[in-house]
Amino acid sequence: MSRTTPRRRSRGALAVTLAAASLLISACGGSTGSKDPAVQKPVKPGQKVDLRFWSWVPGVDKAVDKWNATHPDIHVKLEKIPAGSSGGYAKMRAALKSGNAPDLAQVEYQEIPSFLLENGLVNLSQYGADKDRSKFVDWQWQQGVFDKAVYAIPQASGPMGLFYRSDLYKKWGIKPPATWEEFAQAAQKIHDADPKAYISTFPAGNSAWFTALAWQAGAKWFGVNGDTWTVNINSPQTLKVAAFWDDLRSKKVIKTEPDFANGWYKDLQSGAITSWVSAQWGDAIISGNAPQTAGKWAVAPMPQWTRGSNVSANWGGSSTAVLKGAGHIPEALKFAEWLNTDPTSVDLLLQGGYGWPAAADGYKGSSLDKPSSFFGGQKYNEVFAEADKSIDNSWKWIPTIDATYQHLNDGFQAALAGKGTFVSAVQQAQKQTVEDLKRKGLKVSTGQ
Amino acid sequence: MPTRAPRRRRNLAPVVFVAPFLLLFLLTFALPIGYAVYQSVMDVEHTGALGLGGSHTVFVGLGNYSDALSDHAFVRSIGRVLLFAAVQVPVMVALSAGLALLLDSASARGVRFFRAAFFLPYGVPGVIASILWGFLYVPGVSPLVDGMSHLGVSVDLLGGNNVLWSIANIVTWEFAGYNVLVLVAQLRTIPAELYEAARIDGASAWMTVRHVKLPLLRPALILTTVFTIIGTLQLFAEPLVLKPVSSSIDSAYTPNLSAYNEAFTNDNYHLAAAEAVLLALAAFVLSFGFLRLINKRGGDA
Amino acid sequence: MSLQTPAREVPPRGETPASDDGTKPGSGITEVTTRSRILVTGLLVAAAGYFLLPVYWLAVASTKSTGNLFGSFGLWFSHPQFLSNLRQVVTYDHAIYLRWAANSLLYAGVGAVVATLLAAMSGYALAKFSFAGRDTLFNIVLGGVLIPATALALPMYLLFSQAGLANTYWAVLLPSFVSPFGVYLCRIYAAASIPDELLEAARIDGAGEIRIFTVVALRIMTPALVTIFLFQFVGIWNNYFLPLVMLSDSKLYPITLGLTSWQSFADRQPQLYQLTVGGAFVSVVPLMIAMVVLQRFWRSGLTEGSVKG
Repeated sequence: MSRTTPRRRSRGALAVTLAAASLLISACGGSTGSKDPAVQKPVKPGQKVDLRFWSWVPGVDKAVDKWNATHPDIHVKLEKIPAGSSGGYAKMRAALKSGNAPDLAQVEYQEIPSFLLENGLVNLSQYGADKDRSKFVDWQWQQGVFDKAVYAIPQASGPMGLFYRSDLYKKWGIKPPATWEEFAQAAQKIHDADPKAYISTFPAGNSAWFTALAWQAGAKWFGVNGDTWTVNINSPQTLKVAAFWDDLRSKKVIKTEPDFANGWYKDLQSGAITSWVSAQWGDAIISGNAPQTAGKWAVAPMPQWTRGSNVSANWGGSSTAVLKGAGHIPEALKFAEWLNTDPTSVDLLLQGGYGWPAAADGYKGSSLDKPSSFFGGQKYNEVFAEADKSIDNSWKWIPTIDATYQHLNDGFQAALAGKGTFVSAVQQAQKQTVEDLKRKGLKVSTGQ
Repeated sequence: MPTRAPRRRRNLAPVVFVAPFLLLFLLTFALPIGYAVYQSVMDVEHTGALGLGGSHTVFVGLGNYSDALSDHAFVRSIGRVLLFAAVQVPVMVALSAGLALLLDSASARGVRFFRAAFFLPYGVPGVIASILWGFLYVPGVSPLVDGMSHLGVSVDLLGGNNVLWSIANIVTWEFAGYNVLVLVAQLRTIPAELYEAARIDGASAWMTVRHVKLPLLRPALILTTVFTIIGTLQLFAEPLVLKPVSSSIDSAYTPNLSAYNEAFTNDNYHLAAAEAVLLALAAFVLSFGFLRLINKRGGDA
Repeated sequence: MSLQTPAREVPPRGETPASDDGTKPGSGITEVTTRSRILVTGLLVAAAGYFLLPVYWLAVASTKSTGNLFGSFGLWFSHPQFLSNLRQVVTYDHAIYLRWAANSLLYAGVGAVVATLLAAMSGYALAKFSFAGRDTLFNIVLGGVLIPATALALPMYLLFSQAGLANTYWAVLLPSFVSPFGVYLCRIYAAASIPDELLEAARIDGAGEIRIFTVVALRIMTPALVTIFLFQFVGIWNNYFLPLVMLSDSKLYPITLGLTSWQSFADRQPQLYQLTVGGAFVSVVPLMIAMVVLQRFWRSGLTEGSVKG
């Protein structure tokens, strides 16, 4: 048999394959150039528009249904995605990369800078979003404003307070702690009264919570000066908070299990966890996951670092943003405004437990503004209404906040495993965050 | 020339047979690897504090590799899966071989039932197995942990260093039955004459195992080992699912988890590409090394 | 480099009465004492307990309400309501669960069929034809066996997203079509089991190469193909990383991804805990039945694979 023929044949096949492969590569190269973002015009009246919206907020499905019933021309298709940090943002980033992003998406305040850095958000000022400013609480509006342009419509925030089991506190003769010092004493008393009970858990894997506590203590982790970021995570205020929890941990008067997990829900239900420093939206978490404890909870203001002061912080907080690649930006913006300001919509979201309204008149007269039987008949939202006015509004976020959270989580978890302390975790996170920003090619300075 | 046409067809045949696979292989193996290598030597630079001034991609050489290798968490994650493999591979192989020999022993009854019972978990996807075992690990929810604490034994299956072995348990549970099946099948091919010969030589049951059965299992054991090594390095779903219930699983618990987080949470695609390349390299070197070792030592077998 | 271990002469399967009736060639050669029987059975029962306990837990849990899932003893029933749970699982969110199940079947079924066919074609060609670059090609394919699929998923995602393939059925299907291990098995199996004389005879009879492949080779290779099909099917069915990376539209999800997405919503919608557990149970049952029923096929093919290796 001749040996040359097969060789030539196989070479031919190889060439074909390589050609196919290079075709693919060049196809890749071709599609990377992004189009010039020309300002879109609204569609003509009567023309039908379909919008895709990604969100995980409870109650948002009802609000979307309401919109679709009242706005026949602009149909919003809601796709429920996992909560941002449990995979929702990963999905959005992947979709942005693959050019398959929805028109609108739920974006928490702390994530807005990172989506901006990825060039993922539409400048809504080009579409006249600024005229809505007066409809929102000012500090929440500012969360979506960068370089004087609006990139997100605020939806809700998370002013913080203290949820506690009033029945157990009463039984053991403990008053809800007004200061962190009292909190530490109460932690000891509760654990003494019932060795299975704890005042709270320290969720090592949930640094967003720790961040809020540092925010309350007066820390200002991030700032921007021209085009240079300042990182000041290891400020004395943050270290004070970390040392406080280090102390409780070493006395073994707190739990260290993860929050938002099976075991923790079980503990909420059984009374092994007796309180939770949390945001207003925590009400739905407790009532949904510990239904058997109805009537036994109450809410007090967040414990203070200085007796007599009244400082709260924000945990969570979310906006509706229009993502790059949206087909109908003017219509998407219209929906975002309606969703977060229309009284019916706001009320539906409130009932779902989406948080504290960003709409300026959201609370008064809403379904929040009532006594709750789950909270023993307390008109508990008054505590949060007060808290919302006592938040340091100058807090800023960096584009690499997720990585910072991870560093803190990793450090806290290591501390629980006996390696280092919460304090050293904070110090470490400071260094790593500076590195993260530098990695992105951004300018950074430390401290002030 | 009557034979010419068939011969031509025959020469063309292997190309036709191999081409579809080869094309897809290039598309899903060669091209991604090439692309990962390319991506791993590039990086993105931003202008302005929020990148509102635009961004562009630049060549950074081995910068991403040195970043990955100087990231303690990533390096630790490699060490962790190696430790995991060092324990998991022998345990898995020993357990599977043990169960296979028990099933094959003359004393076993109800073999079919046991074989099916062992094999069943193989049909449970890793993520679902992890959700399932997750419930069985969480104190307060798990009947196992609670039962043990009633007996005065308190174990934290999700804390500290334990969680790695809790994951190892899930992996063992999933795949041991499959390996048992492979090994049992192999044992069944041992010709009766060998047993007969062993019996005539006066070999005990144990000696039959030691000198007849185990050596015959060798090829299957090698295959099992190589797949376990590769599988171990890829560890992803189990720690990802257990992460919310354990305070000991961090964002870079395994190399895969680290790469996934860098790509999809931190938007560092180029760093993630470098990590993926390193992972592939490690898997290749390890399993290749193992095979070389085996082939050298077993050259006379 | 070679995955091949020294080849061994093995009698054809027909001569080992072995397997399917549960008796074995080894029986009867050694005296079986009662003590050893108790010991062996005890160990096997303990092992079975280990493998079955979580499945039992899952079965029990799938009958509970969310409240009882956390609030009652895990290993016994408490107000069983399996049917209403089942109804919830299949109807929740416009019956998305059924869609996930169909997707899983599509990915695993189509993926495994195509992968098996492609592997058979190239394995056969590698074994039965000599052409330039054959050994190089085989070694490259073997290298593919050793590369973790998850390391490929990220760069593949980047490539696919630029080609507009990410977040489509193809994104999961295309990589599923490729089974280097299948090619490896097929080559070894074909080399050992298809006699060259048979192919020559067919050629002399004037049969075309494709016809020879489909009529002669495929039939002889059936046991290996069944193994590859099942191996690939289970692999795709259980796959998580690839769809997780590739898909963002929940309508394209396979069951594994769908159930974890339910679990991730569960803190805000606690009833989803129950749906996750119930859905896991429903998804696991058919595959487990298939595993048990197909054991026979599976096993014979595997033997060929590892022994002929």
